[in-house]
Amino acid sequence: MMSRRKGEVILIGDEIEIVIAHIGRSRVRVGIRAPRNTAILAREVKLVRDENVAAVALSPAETAGRFLKILQPPADEVSVRHEAGK
Amino acid sequence: MPQADTRHFGTIQYQEADVFHFPRGLPGFDQQRRFLPLAFPHTHPLIFLQSIEDPGLCFITLPVLAADPSYRLELAGEDLALIGLPRRPQPRIGEDVLCVAVLSIREDGPTANLLAPLVVNLRNRLGVQAVSQNSRYSHRHPLGATRPAAREAVAC
Repeated sequence: MMSRRKGEVILIGDEIEIVIAHIGRSRVRVGIRAPRNTAILAREVKLVRDENVAAVALSPAETAGRFLKILQPPADEVSVRHEAGK
Repeated sequence: MPQADTRHFGTIQYQEADVFHFPRGLPGFDQQRRFLPLAFPHTHPLIFLQSIEDPGLCFITLPVLAADPSYRLELAGEDLALIGLPRRPQPRIGEDVLCVAVLSIREDGPTANLLAPLVVNLRNRLGVQAVSQNSRYSHRHPLGATRPAAREAVAC
């Protein structure tokens, strides 16, 4: 752990600088200076990206059936519900 | 009428008014901005989001309320602004916005990304994949963990 005030800087290795630019009530804004080839992402954005890439790796034809098995009630349950709604 | 070639659904005719536009793309697919929502009676309640620009790109999604009937939207101001909505109040699912989760199959089985649903303003069809401000939601919510609400009652 390290505590910092507004405007102070953290160094990571020789090439990465993190500046505490603004401290709000529940958020801080940080400035990051890093070599051009360094990917800088919020962690959750990487999780979402990985999840999206995994999601489309399989074809819908293969996967839709597996989702529907969980989501769709068995056929007889559906017909009972329709009759009850009349 | 414009048409889109798709790998899974053949050639589809659509109307411009049907298109969802994601100004920032989706994480991992930044260049794909235009998607067509496709739904079929035999695959209810799934919604397929087919890229118009990439025939092979199609997400399978599910209305978040079908994955978790008590789901609550908490969007960041930045995401709301991107799709043309005010900061307050939060949009209502099914009335102001369509809110669907991307489905995936992981080692443990089918999951829904409830951490970052796709939210589309129903009035202008602008969309964003919005990371929820409420971090109790998982990006790998097991599908079927909560029993879906009655099929007919599920709003998108």
